[in-house]
Amino acid sequence: MLVYGFINSVILALIALGFSITFGISRVANFSHGGFYILGGVLTWCFLMKLGLPYFLAAGLAILIVGLIGLLMYKVLLVRLRGLELSEVITTFSVGIVILELLRSLGIMGFEYRTPVFIDESVEIFGVGLGIQRIIIVGAGAVLLVALHIFVHHTRIGLAFRGVAQEEHTSLSVGINPDRISMLSLALGSMICALAAVLILPLGVISVDEGYDILIKALAVCIIGGLESTLGVLVASFIIGYIEAFTSMYISSSLISVVPLASMLAILLIRPSGLFGKSKEIEERV
Amino acid sequence: MLKRSLKCLVLVIVFFFVGAHLSLAAPAPKGAPIIIGVPSSFKSIEAAEGLKAITLATEQINAMGGVKVGGEMRPFKVESIETRDMEPGVQIAEALLAIEKLILEKKPNVIIQGPTRSEVLLAAMDIFAQYKIPSINNAVASKFVEVYKSNPEKYRHCFRMFDGKYVVQYMGKTMNKIGSNKKAYIVVQDAIWAVGIANGMNAWFKNNGWEVTGFDKYPTGASDFSSTLIKAKQSGAQVIFAIFDMPQSGVLVQQWKDMKVPAVFAGFISPLMGEKAWTTFGPKIEGVLNIAFDGGNLPLHKYQPAKTFYDAYIKRWKEMQCGHKPAVDYDAVYAMKMAIEKAGSLDPDKIAKELENLSMVGCTGRIHFADHQYVFGVDPNVDAISAVYQWKKGKRVPVFPDSIAEGIIEKPESMK
Repeated sequence: MLVYGFINSVILALIALGFSITFGISRVANFSHGGFYILGGVLTWCFLMKLGLPYFLAAGLAILIVGLIGLLMYKVLLVRLRGLELSEVITTFSVGIVILELLRSLGIMGFEYRTPVFIDESVEIFGVGLGIQRIIIVGAGAVLLVALHIFVHHTRIGLAFRGVAQEEHTSLSVGINPDRISMLSLALGSMICALAAVLILPLGVISVDEGYDILIKALAVCIIGGLESTLGVLVASFIIGYIEAFTSMYISSSLISVVPLASMLAILLIRPSGLFGKSKEIEERV
Repeated sequence: MLKRSLKCLVLVIVFFFVGAHLSLAAPAPKGAPIIIGVPSSFKSIEAAEGLKAITLATEQINAMGGVKVGGEMRPFKVESIETRDMEPGVQIAEALLAIEKLILEKKPNVIIQGPTRSEVLLAAMDIFAQYKIPSINNAVASKFVEVYKSNPEKYRHCFRMFDGKYVVQYMGKTMNKIGSNKKAYIVVQDAIWAVGIANGMNAWFKNNGWEVTGFDKYPTGASDFSSTLIKAKQSGAQVIFAIFDMPQSGVLVQQWKDMKVPAVFAGFISPLMGEKAWTTFGPKIEGVLNIAFDGGNLPLHKYQPAKTFYDAYIKRWKEMQCGHKPAVDYDAVYAMKMAIEKAGSLDPDKIAKELENLSMVGCTGRIHFADHQYVFGVDPNVDAISAVYQWKKGKRVPVFPDSIAEGIIEKPESMK
């Protein structure tokens, strides 16, 4: 249970990371996250199964396309709504629904839409049988975190990301274009979301309905951890992941979908900004 | 001159050939079409494939001249409407509105398949009764028979194909053939129809000297089943009985294999149903026992009508992914045809009467009703049948009932 709890926590972190990064930098709550996730999976499947492209090329293309859609969503829709938070939420939510329902109407249903696992083997860890794909997910999650750390601390554009995240208006004074950075953050968040889909979806089957669940999971993790905090996302993922595992093992597996939402409500009552979030605290101080 | 004569001769031959061909072909149905209404939730793969089977049956019947109604040949015409009742958040009332819209606008003479969700069918029975439309419905776990029996006169036009109770009967008999230590672990999707079947199976296990070491329900969308598999392994269960139709349930089977749980995996797992499941999931599904609710959804070599239907379906639609709806829906069209022809009219009361007395060979077996419900048994020459099969080296091998079995149940590698 400890092993699977750990893996499920990493899966949750991967699902939520894209949402958190986008919000942390641009303050846009990207409610089309679930749509982008499923789109990433469907595109990979199409490139792989229909066009016969090699797996990594198919996945790479899918990630790029989803990133481009995220970028365009900002450029075409969100840039006109900057600062109108409710409108941003409604717009991104609508985009997500359009993507999901469009995929549904295009016939993405049934059980054949499945991307294969990278390596179809299993191993034993601490006496527990485990598919290699789950180990790859953990490894990829770790690599992604390191890569993100290097990106935001040691590259010009990464530093610009941090600048905008810390103080958008001040960043203008040092020549950073916040709109451009926000646009890129949407693209980056969408690409991470699609990467999560490429890694996680081989464990199951691509289902349009899962897009809605993914959004709820990402929201729960981000709200518990603090919407803009990457560390918060990690901690919250492990909290939810292990609570889910314990609930399923010792209480009732039928409650596992309630766990993230109940945890979210509890955290909202105690710390409205989440465990590592600052926004509400600052607001209260002002 | 010779050239002109030759041309005339060729024209005459062609004329006679075409004329003779046309006169020998089945007469094209000429009367007003008989409307088959199909109100269902077509975003569910079962309903969508069921509609395809209905279309196939009507195409075949129309090609053979149509339906004879009082001396006139009339074609079938399918009119479907999306009820969305299987989509999350859709209220029963919304689905009923769609059904009523179909009835008022398209004026169907008969209804086939009907809504997918059990509670929607129960509510729709009142609408079918109100408009007096003969219907053969297909929601699995509803209390259809109870409702019918509560007022047989009112619901005399309503019929149903499959009932979840048959899954319990079939899987119970299959359990006895496995040769395990009589310890089972039940894992089920938290949906009314699935829990209903699982509860029935739980009772069966207990009444037949089995020990049920655990009973877990998972919400739709769950994608990690490790806790159940760990508990099943620890409890020594040698049968894992699963009922799922959500796409993620394929994960359960993969984890079963990855975690090397020494137990036979049996039940109804939708994603593993179709021929393509082997391509989708690979050898990890080897050894899984799955039940096709309608036997005709498998190309049964020991029951030719099933094979004929399956082959015709594949020829027309390329693939079949599900184990429920296509075969019984296909049979329902032929059942309606027979009932209408025997009634000699489209009078709903007469059609209902003929359906009550119906006995015909279908791809699911011999179709006849008791309490307005298809009767399922173990011999397709006597009753309709389900089919339990086992995945073996990429093939679906029927293992129960014996009348159609092509192999015996083999234990998975982890139990040897």
